[in-house]
Amino acid sequence: MSMLKLNRRGFVKLSGAAALVGLSTSAVHRPLFAADKEKEKGRVVVIGGGYGGSVAAKYIRLADPGIDVTLIEQNEHYYSCPLSNWVVAGFRDLEVQKWGYEGLKKHGIKVVHEHATEIDPAAKTVTTKGGTKFKYDRLIVSPGVAFKPVQGYDAEAEEKMPHAWNAGPQTVLLGKQLAAMRDGDPFILVAPPDPFRCPPGPYERASLVAHYLKKNKPKSKVIILDPKDKFSKMPLFQGAWTKLYGFGTDKSLIEWIPGGEGGKVTRVDAKTMTVYTDMAEYKSSCINVIPPQKANAIAELAKLTDDSGWCPINFDTLESKIHKDVHVIGDAAQATGLPKSGYAANSEAKVCAAAVVALLNGQKPGEPSFVNTCYSMLSPTFGISVAGVYKVVEGKIKEVGGGLSPADAPEFIRLQEATYNESWYQSIMADTFS
Amino acid sequence: MHRKKIHMMGLIGGLVMGGVVLASSASAETGPTAAMLANTCAGCHGTDGISGGPAMPTIAGFPANHVKTLMKEFKDGSRPSTIMGRLAKGYSDEEVALIADFFAKKKWASANSHANSKLATAIDPALATKGKKITADAKCDKCHEDDGKFQDENTPRVAGQWLDYLLFKMQDYKNAALKVPQEKKMEKAMEKLSAEDLTAIAHFYASKK
Repeated sequence: MSMLKLNRRGFVKLSGAAALVGLSTSAVHRPLFAADKEKEKGRVVVIGGGYGGSVAAKYIRLADPGIDVTLIEQNEHYYSCPLSNWVVAGFRDLEVQKWGYEGLKKHGIKVVHEHATEIDPAAKTVTTKGGTKFKYDRLIVSPGVAFKPVQGYDAEAEEKMPHAWNAGPQTVLLGKQLAAMRDGDPFILVAPPDPFRCPPGPYERASLVAHYLKKNKPKSKVIILDPKDKFSKMPLFQGAWTKLYGFGTDKSLIEWIPGGEGGKVTRVDAKTMTVYTDMAEYKSSCINVIPPQKANAIAELAKLTDDSGWCPINFDTLESKIHKDVHVIGDAAQATGLPKSGYAANSEAKVCAAAVVALLNGQKPGEPSFVNTCYSMLSPTFGISVAGVYKVVEGKIKEVGGGLSPADAPEFIRLQEATYNESWYQSIMADTFS
Repeated sequence: MHRKKIHMMGLIGGLVMGGVVLASSASAETGPTAAMLANTCAGCHGTDGISGGPAMPTIAGFPANHVKTLMKEFKDGSRPSTIMGRLAKGYSDEEVALIADFFAKKKWASANSHANSKLATAIDPALATKGKKITADAKCDKCHEDDGKFQDENTPRVAGQWLDYLLFKMQDYKNAALKVPQEKKMEKAMEKLSAEDLTAIAHFYASKK
């Protein structure tokens, strides 16, 4: 009875004391050990607050608020790569790509803006550049990608020949260089070898730049120097290029030079703004170098990667095959069968979150289901997509349904897909950050 | 009234069926859970089926049988779509039932109160008023009762849905070449409505909470 007279603060204090001695203040409705049990649920640390890490953190809290979740992300804002090609081509502000972490905090996630520099899988700790140590029961690593070296492409060259493959200042820089480019200069796009973040991304970029050139610099064209002989959604891209940009004619706004025809870049020189392939050299005032990729630094430092440069994982739980109790999701993970896309990262995050919740509750993780839905823009009113549903079958990730937009779709369907792309973005960003 | 009684009967039937589905899925003991399957939809349809994109429909709280019918039609190709036909092929009937039941249990939230509502085409009150009259004249309210709030297994809720989505879908329903599965009376009503009428109707339903 006396408890009813306590003010809120007093009540909280008392209930805290009760929890310490293993009592519950609402013993009628809850088992006596409820408070202790919640404490024992465990601590999860997530490294990286993008399409993968943020979603994993949120979905763990949605499924089980008893689990303590800390998200370590060095930047206070996140810039989305999906749809950032629109910014390069000048019809979208970078601000629309910018997201913060307030929404995630509302789920009870502790967001720490520090740079994670060390993982100790034996002691089960993460250390940041500032020296803070975080203890975990399970760790989720979603660090994104880093670049492999390209001869002549150093930090200084990045400013002159932007990659724009992490959205943010690089995106704006490339957009500015495109706007400043002389009419008649080629826009040189150096495409990366497989596997890399966002397989259709370089070709969407080429399309949207061509759209920009058609209107603003009609004497220019895009030259794609590609080490590969084929690429994602290739027939759809080339079909649309034929329709929109004269692809295949001598007036084409896009020229694609595949690996077999001298597309492989061997080195770059930022001082003379030259790109060298094994057959020729290309000069321009606007060069976009997208280097070969691997898992980002923290994954490599923590020895979560194998010889491929990516992190081998168990497909049912996304747990590392190298370190126990550490999961890797998103572009850094070797989720063979799934593309390195934002939607795949979102889907991997949810499978991982469900597995982590099950494991911390002493249960067996359930069967996973993955989805990828990925739009590309050929012009601001021309969208195409690839979609797939995936399951783990006999230890492999297998597509059980899906496919590409039809090659012969009418214009209104392309317009609908272009519109769905923007709505896709708004929904997936709300799913990630709200 | 008569129709709603039938709806109640349908509901009871659905509950019995639901029991059967539960029993069979429990005996199978394999396959992803409802949440595992349904959460993959959230990238486009939003967390718990509440869409954050003006052209993507909110599906939270949709009757399970309605979602099952749509998915079946997407899968067999009888309902035209850009992407859903491809995705629907990835799920068994049992999995679709789990997804449908998951979203049926979620609470509807109107797009006009969503944090992203400003991203949608702005609701024009004058058009909304005009739209209300058009829905009455075209007898939309015979099925989409209660200003579009009513829903059953054949009738999706349209009140408070995203405006841009409503507009897209009505254009599809009006486009005879697409052969969207629809009631004969809806097809006839669509024939008579102009593009301007459809815009007004979209503004009306989208304005409702």
